[in-house]
Amino acid sequence: MVKIQYQFKRTTPLRFLSHLDQQRLFQRAFRRANIPVEYSQGFNPHPKMSFALAMSVGLTSDGEFGEVMVSKNIDVETFISRMNQVLPNGLEIITAKICDEGVRSLSASLCKSIYRIRIKVVPETDLRELSESIRSYLERSQIFMQKRNKKGKFVDKDIRPFIESIAVFADSEKDKVNVKMTLIYIEQQSVKPEHVLESVNNQNSTVFLIDPTIEVHREELIIKADA
Amino acid sequence: MNNYIEKNILPLVTKPITYLGNEVNSVHKTPDQEMIRFAFAFPDTYEVGMSHLGMKILYGLLNEEKDIWCERVFAPWVDMEEQLRLHDLPLYGLESMMPLNEYDFVGFTLQYEMSFSNILNMLELGKITMRSTQRKEDEPFVIAGGPCAYNPEPLSDFIDIFVIGEGEEVILRIMAAHREWKKVGGNRQDFLKMAAAIEGVYVPAFYAVSYDEMSGVITAFTPIAEEVPATIRKQFIEDLDQAYFPDKIVVSYTETVHDRISYEIFRGCGRGCRFCQAGMIYRPTREKTVPTIQSKIKALIASTGYDEASLSSLSTGDYSEIETLIKNLVCDAEVGKVSITLPSLRIDSLSIEMLEEIQKVRKAGLTLAPEAGTQRMRDVINKGVTEENLMDTVRTAFEKGWGHVKLYFMIGLPGETLADIEGIADLGQKVVNEYYKIDRESRNKSVKVVLSASSFVPKPFTPFQWMGQNTPEEFMNKQRHLKASIKERKISYSWHDSGVSFLEAVFARGDRRLGLVLEKAHQKGCRFDGWGEYFDLEKWTEAFAEAGIDPNFYALRNRDFDEILPWDFIDTGVTKKFLKAEAQKAEAALTTPFCPESCSNCGIMEFKKGWKCNG
Repeated sequence: MVKIQYQFKRTTPLRFLSHLDQQRLFQRAFRRANIPVEYSQGFNPHPKMSFALAMSVGLTSDGEFGEVMVSKNIDVETFISRMNQVLPNGLEIITAKICDEGVRSLSASLCKSIYRIRIKVVPETDLRELSESIRSYLERSQIFMQKRNKKGKFVDKDIRPFIESIAVFADSEKDKVNVKMTLIYIEQQSVKPEHVLESVNNQNSTVFLIDPTIEVHREELIIKADA
Repeated sequence: MNNYIEKNILPLVTKPITYLGNEVNSVHKTPDQEMIRFAFAFPDTYEVGMSHLGMKILYGLLNEEKDIWCERVFAPWVDMEEQLRLHDLPLYGLESMMPLNEYDFVGFTLQYEMSFSNILNMLELGKITMRSTQRKEDEPFVIAGGPCAYNPEPLSDFIDIFVIGEGEEVILRIMAAHREWKKVGGNRQDFLKMAAAIEGVYVPAFYAVSYDEMSGVITAFTPIAEEVPATIRKQFIEDLDQAYFPDKIVVSYTETVHDRISYEIFRGCGRGCRFCQAGMIYRPTREKTVPTIQSKIKALIASTGYDEASLSSLSTGDYSEIETLIKNLVCDAEVGKVSITLPSLRIDSLSIEMLEEIQKVRKAGLTLAPEAGTQRMRDVINKGVTEENLMDTVRTAFEKGWGHVKLYFMIGLPGETLADIEGIADLGQKVVNEYYKIDRESRNKSVKVVLSASSFVPKPFTPFQWMGQNTPEEFMNKQRHLKASIKERKISYSWHDSGVSFLEAVFARGDRRLGLVLEKAHQKGCRFDGWGEYFDLEKWTEAFAEAGIDPNFYALRNRDFDEILPWDFIDTGVTKKFLKAEAQKAEAALTTPFCPESCSNCGIMEFKKGWKCNG
């Protein structure tokens, strides 16, 4: 039994998949590609597979991580080519490696996410002013935001530790800007980029017009290399 | 348009992925001028439509043709409809995202009457002229088939062409006619004439109906165009084993109602249950062979990656070689890895042991359909299942550890008395008693029996096609009586009917005059009538009143045997004489045997020359 860790891209055609849809899609793709996936024992056997992160609906990414347990040794090149033959347009495996069994789980290895976001802003937004306002936002040592806890209650949470950097750039469309944002995982927790933008809005006045047409793209997901 | 919808509309709606048509095994072609563009339309949600077998067959079949591109379109959910209307965007075919009104054909499948309002809504959203006689030369031909096409009349104002019976062969003949017509360069009327000449095709515009002014019943149904047949003969595939079935089916990203491979092992049913329309219209029974089924399922698993395959039919346990089939499937190296499910099992047809062997699922629930509570009533409907059959089955199930049994019944069956209603409660009680007879060690820790009763809707081409449906008040009283008859706490009872079955009864046996009602109901915003949260009986009641039509005339009235019924011009092969005889036997609670045991001369053997039923 070996564990295969793979990195994949999700592009626009499949950005609307839910996490569950994507799990199902990979399960079926493994079967179509003849990958000998290991199943859990018991009444309702489940394929032994997981993803580093649940991707939210709408998110595109250049580098997500997934892993799957296979019963027979299979070389990574075969794995990649067979999978890419059966995956629909919008999902593509880029790299894969065989891991030792004892290696720590993907979700425990999460380090940083680098996002690029295209979003509408209020008319006449001045990019220099916006940059300045973000700079002062990041100077704060604590930034509190209302977040729902596990019990569903709203609690104040300091999101500052999760934010490494935010930078804004002009977009080809006049009413939009590009935001580049690096967010940090601490004990598998982080904050959503939309929430950070909302929190920037809350500081002075609304700049980012957050609605479902926002385009969030993960340029890179950095995981800790195993010691 | 594609990019605009993707960027600005889809992020705003639920399940955006279902509006993109880019699923695994979806077909994408590069269109040219010659290509016939066909939009296969399912008048319900994506999740319901994608579970439908007929669509999968015809989608594959049409796309096998190089010069035809068949795409799919479903009723958009209410939030998507709102966005389309708000942005004045047309409903589109999923694969190419081309507006519906630009196709050559828009083909609706008619699975249940409660989807009729969705058809009108989809035509409107697709910017297609509602009434067929007002459609312009360059508009699509709106074509329809499926079980509800056996009484096409309520939709005859809106559909150009109906296909009566199984579509696999007829649809290709219609496509061939279309190629020919394009070559010759005729007008819309010319093509409809060409289509009407194909056996199994009904073009309503070529027929006129007259009514008796006093009673409202039909006095004549007459062809008004030259060379159109007075009777439309239903079509059926003689050699089902060799009939087309796709090796690839579209695999949805979202979970659908039946999210699995569904493979049809036989068509038709020889049980002759008198309430069942499918059992009459899909005659004769035709089976696929074991090797065909096995190899096709194997191919489908490989092309889809599904982990479950269901052997579908009207009564799966009646497949003549069911044990061999299941043994072969379970032993097959590839098929053996997936779960095989058997829907539509009769209580008497398959052993629980076999069910246990193949269904790799938890013993969550066993669903059985005795349909009626007393033996007399089961004889009236010719269900052919005895109380002993039921008790044997549940006893074995309880011994094997099942604890949850669901029993399906119908109320409002012909000749039903309160004793028959009480019989449903009694039967539930007897099932619970069976559980307590089982040794405490081997039985499930808890028992639950669910009695589910639906309101009976008489359907065309069944022996009950002449009977009036129970009134909503009668249904209500019977339901109350049933509820009061249940004393056992282990029995729960489920029932809901907010007037849907009344409306279903109206449209099932309706005529052309209902077109106006449909139109008015559509204008009032009726759609998704099969969905409890959107069904609005009040709007329908208003629509009937404004159209000056009494729904009771259709739902509640007992018809005379010699009345001209709206669907009489269709010949299903099962004769009216047989149906009458069955209706009379029902009155006397006399049963009719299962076809393989003894032929009851339903007419199907005489219908097609040289056809011989195989049992």
